[in-house]
Amino acid sequence: MIRSFWAITFNGFREARRNRVTLVLAFFAGLLLLSSSLITDITVVTFDRVLIDIGLAGMSVILVLLSIFLSTGLLSREIERRTIFMVVTKPVSRGLFLVARLAGNMLTLTALQVLMGALLLLEFKVLRTPVTGPTILAMGMLWFELLLLSALGFLMSSFAGPMTSAFVTVSMFFVGHLSGDIYTLARRSKNEGLQVLGKVIYYVLPNLERFNLRGQASYGVDVPTKVWVASGVYGLAYAAILVWLAVLLFRRRDFR
Amino acid sequence: MTATPIELHGLSKTYRLGFLMNRKVRALDGLDMTIAPGQVYGLLGPNGAGKSTTIKIVMNLVQATSGTARLFGKPPTDTAIRRMVGFVPENPAPYEYLTGREFVQLAADLGGVPQSDVRARTTEVLESVGMTRAADLQIRRYSKGMIQRIALAQAVVHRPALLILDEPTSGLDPVGRRMVRDFILAERQRGTTVLFCTHIIPDVETLCDRVAVLVNGQRVREGGVAELLSKSNPQMEVVLDGLSEAKVRSLGRTLDEVQTLDTRLLVRCRDAEAQQLVAQVLQAGGRVITLQPTRFTLEDLFLQALGEAKHGTVGGEIL
Repeated sequence: MIRSFWAITFNGFREARRNRVTLVLAFFAGLLLLSSSLITDITVVTFDRVLIDIGLAGMSVILVLLSIFLSTGLLSREIERRTIFMVVTKPVSRGLFLVARLAGNMLTLTALQVLMGALLLLEFKVLRTPVTGPTILAMGMLWFELLLLSALGFLMSSFAGPMTSAFVTVSMFFVGHLSGDIYTLARRSKNEGLQVLGKVIYYVLPNLERFNLRGQASYGVDVPTKVWVASGVYGLAYAAILVWLAVLLFRRRDFR
Repeated sequence: MTATPIELHGLSKTYRLGFLMNRKVRALDGLDMTIAPGQVYGLLGPNGAGKSTTIKIVMNLVQATSGTARLFGKPPTDTAIRRMVGFVPENPAPYEYLTGREFVQLAADLGGVPQSDVRARTTEVLESVGMTRAADLQIRRYSKGMIQRIALAQAVVHRPALLILDEPTSGLDPVGRRMVRDFILAERQRGTTVLFCTHIIPDVETLCDRVAVLVNGQRVREGGVAELLSKSNPQMEVVLDGLSEAKVRSLGRTLDEVQTLDTRLLVRCRDAEAQQLVAQVLQAGGRVITLQPTRFTLEDLFLQALGEAKHGTVGGEIL
């Protein structure tokens, strides 16, 4: 079982490596990160803060886009092209296939994140911007956001087409980052229905702001261990639930 | 005792279609089928007869609405039992970004081939399907025939006891078809049980021990190929000389067809009629030149079964 898992995982990684879209995105990610150094010309006093903020934001945008692109189309593409027929008919359970495919995606994203992170740190070093603990932590917490979005993309793609999956996942990305604000706004409303809706959105939908430590990184503010560990556990647990739901749906699906 | 490779009892499948899933199409209707070890079993039927649905249920790609399917005594959901099964879907689609060798190696890893044997086994099967030279090209560069060869290679790399092929020769040129036929014959020689479905009748006639004809999701014929053909051999062909057509017709026998061939007559009639006709012709001073059964092919059987079926159409029964 472990061998099958790794075979599918590494195959997913190999697929992404040979996919031109991934390569082009990785190339542009490099360009974007390096271009953040151009801000030396427009900012002097807050140079380090802006550089960290823009660098981390660029990394986040590229990786989030890639995670949505990779996860939402993957299963539906496998089903539509019927490549799945020659894998799930092997001695491999559908659950294992799905989890291994997700692991392959995460391996690709992790490799890119490590590369981009290294590039960003190199840039900081060259431009003499101090690398602080919160900066490293902000890079690390992005991984949990990518995991959660990938799991959501997989869940959607286990029963819906790529367009629907991408639409829902992108929407969830925005709602997930705004859920705190939505809750605050709803609480101030006099309409009881809106208050309940705000609460539901806040508690049921993923709160992606928990993984956004870019503000703390750019201001060099330490994040208590308890806070980021709790956020990590929250990310893992939420992703596990999404994967479990995806497996449940995927196991019952007919491949016509 | 070896477990039966495939046993199907009362297998039915109804697909729900449409946005609200309120349209139903019955693809399979109470199918019973047993395939004994070592048999090459052909599933014949027109498009939409339920052949692919049967195979997909057996391979756990589709879940039956009712009835049971057993692979070596286990349900198709049992992942371990699939170590004993090799499968080639209709229009196989291996990962295009892999080379043929990488894809077969992936299949070997998933099929449980011991790690130390993967390389050797991959090379061996690639050679057996004639893909050694193109093995290191990406599959996106392959022709349809080459993809079929790779699909066959990945299906047997773990040496399965049962091979299931869905329309293995469809869309192939004569060379490709010949290769697939030789491949199936080689597997049969090794003792592998083979189930394949097709609507290319000569392939079934050449390769199969047993055959089932499906129409509208139901089995309308089943048996050994020779047995089915002999059972369905209703006509005799008699060539006579020395008597006119009118004279032959006046002998009082029921004749299905009479044709004049120069000075001779070609008569087609039922076997029992033919025996008496011959005696009467000889008595009337005529000569019997030949007496032979008309060749009844599987194609005739197939068309006969299709004609007898309720709808005799394609695409499953819409409920």
